[in-house]
Amino acid sequence: MKYNAETRHYFETTARAGHLSGAKVYRGAAGDREQGSWVQFDLKFASGNLADARFLAFGCPHTIAAAAWVAEQAVGKPVARRLPDSVQAISLKFAVPLEKLGRLLIVEDAWLAAIDAGLKVEQ
Amino acid sequence: MNAAEGVNEARAHTQAGALPVYLDHAATTPVDPRVAARMAEVLNSESEFGNPASSHDYGDIAGALIEAARAQVAAAVGASASEVVFTSGATEANNLAIFGVAEYYRDVGRHLITARTEHKSVLDPCRELERRGWRITYLKPDGGGLLGPDQVAAALAPDTVLVSIMHVNNEIGVIQDIAAIGDICARHGGARLHVDAAQSVGKCAVDFAALGIDLLSLSAHKAYGPKGAGALVVAQRAGAGGARSSARGGTGVHLTPLQFGGGQERGLRAGTLATHQAVGMGTAFALAVRLQESETARIAQLQQRLWQGLSAIGGVLRNGNAQRSVPHLLNVSFEGVEGESLLAALQPHVAVSTGSACTSALAEPSFVLRALGRSERLSESSLRFGLGRSSSERDIDIAIAVLSREVARLRRIAGS
Repeated sequence: MKYNAETRHYFETTARAGHLSGAKVYRGAAGDREQGSWVQFDLKFASGNLADARFLAFGCPHTIAAAAWVAEQAVGKPVARRLPDSVQAISLKFAVPLEKLGRLLIVEDAWLAAIDAGLKVEQ
Repeated sequence: MNAAEGVNEARAHTQAGALPVYLDHAATTPVDPRVAARMAEVLNSESEFGNPASSHDYGDIAGALIEAARAQVAAAVGASASEVVFTSGATEANNLAIFGVAEYYRDVGRHLITARTEHKSVLDPCRELERRGWRITYLKPDGGGLLGPDQVAAALAPDTVLVSIMHVNNEIGVIQDIAAIGDICARHGGARLHVDAAQSVGKCAVDFAALGIDLLSLSAHKAYGPKGAGALVVAQRAGAGGARSSARGGTGVHLTPLQFGGGQERGLRAGTLATHQAVGMGTAFALAVRLQESETARIAQLQQRLWQGLSAIGGVLRNGNAQRSVPHLLNVSFEGVEGESLLAALQPHVAVSTGSACTSALAEPSFVLRALGRSERLSESSLRFGLGRSSSERDIDIAIAVLSREVARLRRIAGS
């Protein structure tokens, strides 16, 4: 399979791969390794903003690239119960084939799970 | 070369605009320059372009080239030249063998035996026969990919007309015990033995007559010949095709052709023969046999080097019985890594095949590895390394270095 330059870049760099720990760090995950796709986000909340974000991902290059991009884009932005961009826009950005759109929904589910975990405590 | 040097070498190799290291010789091989030169001679010749079926001098010259190539192909596999039917490749040869036998012997029986780990060009015709009302037995190999000849014996029925078992498996490289299966088919008396040997020539000995094979499929492009060239060897020897076949009339195996229009190739494969393709295949096969011993020894050392390097990564499992396989193929699964990502990470540096059949955007796990009992995840995270004539120690070291780095990176990202 061929991947566009954006997918290649975020798949290969994955700057925010890893864990966060400490106060006001909230975790959310979705998917299942045995099913081929699993994503986890660690988010650090600070005064209503996302101070930091890390991800882990088991999956195809589109899944990894999308998770890496989401983690990068969200830092410094207000906490909100949505991805930095719509699933449709992310699918276009990374030229995700139609058959793989479900993988982006796993990224979204993991993200929302982490946000919800934080909002539950912080609000 | 240590791991760091290997990664630097891979980086320099890629930055220099070089193509990735090619370790996918089981998918196809480059045409050997000696083969290409001989084919170009035929294509450029003022006297060798004739239709081999024509009755003038041009036809005679082309016909002689075809017959010389036929003799080379026959010699490479222990057959008689008159038994070789040129085709467009092994896929066509497999189709001709299976449908040709099925159609000719349909009144004798409608049962066929094959293995779950055969190539798609055998399995898909079998499924088509099933759709037409045939009974197909799909034998399950052991965890190493090997069939027990007793499995074939147990599956044979009075109405079995064909047993189709490949020689060297295209994904894991294991060599089936064709001689024993041939004996069993001969004792049955009515079951012909078809063997897909697309991966065999130049890698291990193939003796058509001695192994008791009735039909043998061959491919040129897996042995440094051109794509679009292959052959089906159809036994003409007395006793071939089973005692009951001979009793039914004539010696050898009978086939109903799949295409009509000229009667070429003993009436089994109509169409004007491509002289340069046949010459290319003959030249490639002669070369493959000549180089087999030295190349196999050299490649066995490279395979050992590759396996040692990969197993040092940890969480790497070898697929297929290592004691009964050709050294040209090494199939391994990587724990804790997703297959498509692994392949994508390798793409800029090393060209290999994945254990997934990428017929769509969503990869399916290898059905061969699934048949061996590997889990869906491990089947999907497998790589097939195909070593060949151009492979060097440097290629192997680059592959080990890149894989060591990328497997560690992907496991880290996955939290494995």
